[in-house]
Amino acid sequence: MGSGRHRRRQAATAYLFLAPGLLLFAVFRVYPLLEGLQLSFTNARLGRASFQYVGLANYARLLEDSRFHVSLVNTALYTVASTLPILAVPLALALALNRGRLRTLLRSVFFFPFTLSVVTVGLAWLWLLDPVVGPFNYYLKSLGVPVRSWLADPQTAMAAIIVTTVWWVTGYYLVIYLAGLQDIPRDLYEAAALDGAGGWRAFWSITLPLLRPVMLFVVVTHVIGSFQLFGQVFVLTLGGPGDATRTVVQHLYEAAFQNFFQFGAASAMAWVLFAIILVFSVLQFRLLRGHTEY
Amino acid sequence: MRRLDRGALALTLALSVLAVVWLLPIVWVVVTSLKVTEDIVKLPPEWIPWPVTGDHYHEVLFSSSRTARIGRAFGNSLVIALGTVAVVVATSALAAYPLARMRFPGRDLVFALLVGSLMIPNAVVLVPQYVLVQRLGWLSTYQGLIVPEAATTFAFGVFLLRQFFRTMPGELEDAARMDGASAWQVFTRVVLPLSQPVLAALAIFAFRSAWNDFLWPLIAVNKPDMFPLPVALALLRSAYSAESYGPIMAGAALSALPLLVVFVVANRRIVEGVRLSGLKG
Repeated sequence: MGSGRHRRRQAATAYLFLAPGLLLFAVFRVYPLLEGLQLSFTNARLGRASFQYVGLANYARLLEDSRFHVSLVNTALYTVASTLPILAVPLALALALNRGRLRTLLRSVFFFPFTLSVVTVGLAWLWLLDPVVGPFNYYLKSLGVPVRSWLADPQTAMAAIIVTTVWWVTGYYLVIYLAGLQDIPRDLYEAAALDGAGGWRAFWSITLPLLRPVMLFVVVTHVIGSFQLFGQVFVLTLGGPGDATRTVVQHLYEAAFQNFFQFGAASAMAWVLFAIILVFSVLQFRLLRGHTEY
Repeated sequence: MRRLDRGALALTLALSVLAVVWLLPIVWVVVTSLKVTEDIVKLPPEWIPWPVTGDHYHEVLFSSSRTARIGRAFGNSLVIALGTVAVVVATSALAAYPLARMRFPGRDLVFALLVGSLMIPNAVVLVPQYVLVQRLGWLSTYQGLIVPEAATTFAFGVFLLRQFFRTMPGELEDAARMDGASAWQVFTRVVLPLSQPVLAALAIFAFRSAWNDFLWPLIAVNKPDMFPLPVALALLRSAYSAESYGPIMAGAALSALPLLVVFVVANRRIVEGVRLSGLKG
């Protein structure tokens, strides 16, 4: 068969199929990414027709922008502090669900908050945590626990945002963990039981090591999301009290769309954020991969 | 055997209690939305809305003059989410098919680029995407929300569908090709009908992310008439004083409704979609 012509025809067909998607992808994903990098070296502003290249000035200014530093520290703190509960809570639930009954029903219940928008979640918790008339403080008080205005207190505002987020996304990671657990061959546990290694021993020497790739996925996904924390803060605290819960994306959002419409400066922030996320992702792959063989 | 069962039972019981607690924030939203205004801030908290009222729903849907009506925003969100689903499913299916089933130069490179793009944080393209959409004259339009949203989900869709297409047995396609069917006919008459479950999973995934997206519409829309639900709700919150939880909670409950319906009807598809999304790790 005229294979040269056949191959060319197949390539043409393939690219015809690919064309609409690749066009969408090139124009709305790749091009903005590169244009953002370009913008970060300019003094572009919203509504200003022309702009000049300013070299690394936007990046240099970030070194002196103390509110940006605060935002970075807050975002990093949030990421670090929320990672352990995000790893542990869904895993504990998945292990329990895997052993008990009513698995489908209970899984659905825990998953349900994940179907809500961040605004709906934020509004629900804003109301629950209302310092004066919210039910949370009422019940705490009746238990004799000292209460405070959780979202308005710099000591607890970030913790409240973490609790809200864990409640929101636990169901998603729960489903991922359940799938991971089901992929572990049953006979491994049976063999371990024969050797007298049940319960915790089996958990430490079979479940946890074999879940390593799943946990890597959970951590990487969560960290990428955490560095972009915005919606919860926007609804619950607006970055307050003071700047206690101000985040990088909020800082970027305000620089670009609220205060001075500094597109150049905001793009520099975006790329700093991107670089941080990349470094963290690579580090996590390095740290958590290594030992997956068994 | 006996002891194991008792352990499982105790575990199930504990989990059931936790599940009820887990749902309380939602229950509280719905209960509040159905209470008459004087009862909302009563302490101790009342978990049964009695006397019950639909006034708050009526207010946010039809008569709120203070801000964008939630009813209108609900319609906007539907258009945006369904539009996104259509674009994502069509472009992803078309692109995933040759990547799974054809041989052509550049295939691995295209796929690697798409998978690599899954790591791009959305916040990074926020400003340039705004510049682009503004240049196109698409600010405060449906396409200005649908197209960027679809572009964000496209790569994931390709990844998900390619995985599925690759595991499909090839005999049916071969048979159709023997009968003289073109690539297009094989795709539309054989491949797509066999892929309904995974297409549904992708559709739900795309619907969820478009329905719930907040940051992009917050900046890409500045006409109140075009706000999707999350933006309208967030602004509703600032428009009402802190004590007016009734209308806010009615809006929040309404925003949860479509996905609740999808969730009840297609629970397994959702879980399947999420499970598959985990494979990208």
